[in-house]
Amino acid sequence: MPKSAAFDLDDVSVHFGNGPALHKVSLSIAPGEAVAFVGPSGAGKTTLLRLLNATLRPAGGCAAVDGRCLGEHTSAELRAVRARIGFVHQDLSLVPNLRVVQNVVAGRLGRMGLFASLRAMALPSHAEAERVHAILERVGIGEKLYERTDTLSGGQQQRVAIARALYQEPTAILADEPVSSVDPARARDTVALLTRISREEGLTLCMSIHNLELAREFFPRVVGLRRGQVMIDAAFADIDDAQFNKLYELTDNELLADGA
Amino acid sequence: MTARATTVHALHAARPRSRFLRFSAVGVAALVTWAWWAGRFDVADLFSARREANLMRFLEDVRPPALYGKPWDWGVALDWAATMFTSGHQGAAFELPSGWEALRITLAMSIAAIVLAGLVGLVAAFPAARTFATADAFLPGSERSSVARRRAWTALLIGTRGALLFVRSIPEYIWAYLLIGMLGISAWPAVVALALHNAGTLGKLDAETVENLSPRALRALRGAGASREQIAAFAAIPSALSRFLLYFFYRWETCVREATVLGMLGIVSLGYALNEARIRGRYHDMLFYVLMGALLVLIGDLVSAIARRAIRKA
Amino acid sequence: MARSPVMRATLAIPRRPPPIRARGSVLLAILGLGVWAFLALDLTWAQVIPTAAGLRQIGEFFSYALRPALSYQPGEVPDGSPSLLVQALLSARLTLIFAVTAMSLSVVIGGVLGFLGSTAWWSGDASGSRTAIGRYARRTVAPAIYATTRVVITLMRSVHELIWAVLFLAALGLNDLSAVIAIAIPFGGTLAKIFSEMIDEAPRDAADALRGAGASGAQVFCLGLLPRALPDMSAYALYRLECALRSSAILGFFGWETLGYFVKQEWENADYDQVWTYLYTLLLLVVLVEWWSSGLRRRFVA
Repeated sequence: MPKSAAFDLDDVSVHFGNGPALHKVSLSIAPGEAVAFVGPSGAGKTTLLRLLNATLRPAGGCAAVDGRCLGEHTSAELRAVRARIGFVHQDLSLVPNLRVVQNVVAGRLGRMGLFASLRAMALPSHAEAERVHAILERVGIGEKLYERTDTLSGGQQQRVAIARALYQEPTAILADEPVSSVDPARARDTVALLTRISREEGLTLCMSIHNLELAREFFPRVVGLRRGQVMIDAAFADIDDAQFNKLYELTDNELLADGA
Repeated sequence: MTARATTVHALHAARPRSRFLRFSAVGVAALVTWAWWAGRFDVADLFSARREANLMRFLEDVRPPALYGKPWDWGVALDWAATMFTSGHQGAAFELPSGWEALRITLAMSIAAIVLAGLVGLVAAFPAARTFATADAFLPGSERSSVARRRAWTALLIGTRGALLFVRSIPEYIWAYLLIGMLGISAWPAVVALALHNAGTLGKLDAETVENLSPRALRALRGAGASREQIAAFAAIPSALSRFLLYFFYRWETCVREATVLGMLGIVSLGYALNEARIRGRYHDMLFYVLMGALLVLIGDLVSAIARRAIRKA
Repeated sequence: MARSPVMRATLAIPRRPPPIRARGSVLLAILGLGVWAFLALDLTWAQVIPTAAGLRQIGEFFSYALRPALSYQPGEVPDGSPSLLVQALLSARLTLIFAVTAMSLSVVIGGVLGFLGSTAWWSGDASGSRTAIGRYARRTVAPAIYATTRVVITLMRSVHELIWAVLFLAALGLNDLSAVIAIAIPFGGTLAKIFSEMIDEAPRDAADALRGAGASGAQVFCLGLLPRALPDMSAYALYRLECALRSSAILGFFGWETLGYFVKQEWENADYDQVWTYLYTLLLLVVLVEWWSSGLRRRFVA
């Protein structure tokens, strides 16, 4: 098992009920790379991340994790791929009435049997509790180990979600708008934390992010999406404001929709 | 122990725990274990030869009389059911009401009862709501009533809540039994019994709804000179009406269910016919009324679901 | 995701009629049906005005409300019989035993049927089924199991527990287990219905996150979905325990010696003070459970 994951998309399309969500996307992400996905809402950033997490199947093309197309995997193999990819959701996706330790332990379900996982959730062992505590300390909330998750602040809950992803011992971290619901200072801390940990561990990091300033500060490479297609794929240094403006430019139709 | 193990241990020891929840969990486990042990249930008796013979006789008897000892025939069975539905059973020794009549009466009992219960619950909701049943309801803090007035309002609040609790704790069936003794046999005891229990439930639910109304608008009305009764009638009831109606229909469903059995006490309706058939050993007739009851409950659930959806959308 | 601008624009225009009118017609319908019901039942006020003898009886009955009997009259029961309060406790005990055993059965029934009758376990993301058998199971077998379960739930629910009891009496005769099962069937059906709704309405975000972390279907359900629905489910089960107590008390009218048995017996003996003793015992049981379940609900919500 490589220490960090490589993603290769070749001519990948994804369809939902009402049309293409991704259209002939080709993209290569090397092990250990940090990439920011930018673009207007509905451009396909979340779809792209779910594809990399192997929870979506492409309608066409090959989406490969570590060199093997997802279409060739059995469902057990797919679960094994997912188990090694940490995902930080925009809405956190924690179980609010469980303790922090239980929410974090849930990160490793993918590599446990049903009964082992029930046991681990109900009564985490000393070793598990200590591992969880070490990770929580890393994200700065070690003392919250046994608190009920819904008693934590929004920023703290976000760290729980990050800790859950790290507890997977991932080879890559995917983060979907992790800072859209926290204040600017907290947002910067979170992005800094994720990029620092990924760098220290050598993990591949892909983050969709609205805040271009933050993206520019922490990510060397940017992928700009618009209407399911890759419009920009370059080093941040090589892109000027005009190109970003064009990415976010509204068409007449979208103006009408946003005004409604 | 490593430093981390010590820290984790300390955190674990200091974890927030709800004693109430823990006792509840242990209590439930203990209660269930005790109940199964203390019940001394005789499982072997249930499978004894006597019970088996009883069951076989029952299974033979639930077939319509025309089919005794013959192979099953849907046509004959449905003909028999149709006759039961339109004309019931008129024998020399006893009579059973037609299925249609039993359905009609049972449905009417549930509707009459829930309308009464809805009215009583609506009226009782206000003296049972903490926000209304106080001397200074919605008045600015500066105006204070006399001690006697405040005590009187508290007494009204506690009295109403106590009465609602009492009437809903006694099941409909027991109410109906006691009321038959007091009022004699008519549909009234069943209607009043259903109405009492459900008025207790609706009164509680409506009172909670009234308490949860935003106080700001009500306070503004009081400031503009409206009386407590005017606030209730023109502000509280209109804004809580949808909620009241949802509860009303939800309780009506249970009312229909209960109405199917109250007849067992002697009031001519589904339950009466069912019990009468059982006493006479006419199990096929009994099964017919059981199915009628199920049908009525299903119709009630369906109508209520449609009504509640309409109210939610409104 | 991909969104259609046209849809968004039209959604902003209110199309519904003003709410007052819909509620008004519902109210009118209720009033009309109420009038019909009173006419259909031939209810007259004369029937509710009791006779002089009836009035005396009512007065006597309610006059004992504040002084329920605490012991039998001398010579009322043979020597060696338990005292009245012990008898009340014994019948309360049996009432509780029937209610608790029946509820424990219904929770199991409700849990299993509630799971099978929910859409959460089969309607999700189909990317797991790659084989033909898997797809067949998902598209045909699972919906069939779901639909069958819904029908079974409805049938169990639509027959009142007293009717189940009467059916068992006719088919088997008097046995304590048949009382328990008579309560457990309709209560199991009701729990199954409510449980399946709670499971289906629980937020799916945590479940999706677990699936993304490689969890299997069973793990996603047990550890992502169930914990979110469990507080509501247990609060509802406790509320049903309160109902089960009342049903268990009523079974006394059919020969089991629960509280209803003695209410009936003492009423027939015209020992109204003792009727109140048993009524208050039932009240106490119900209030205890109500206090417990409201306490639980408060803590779960907080």
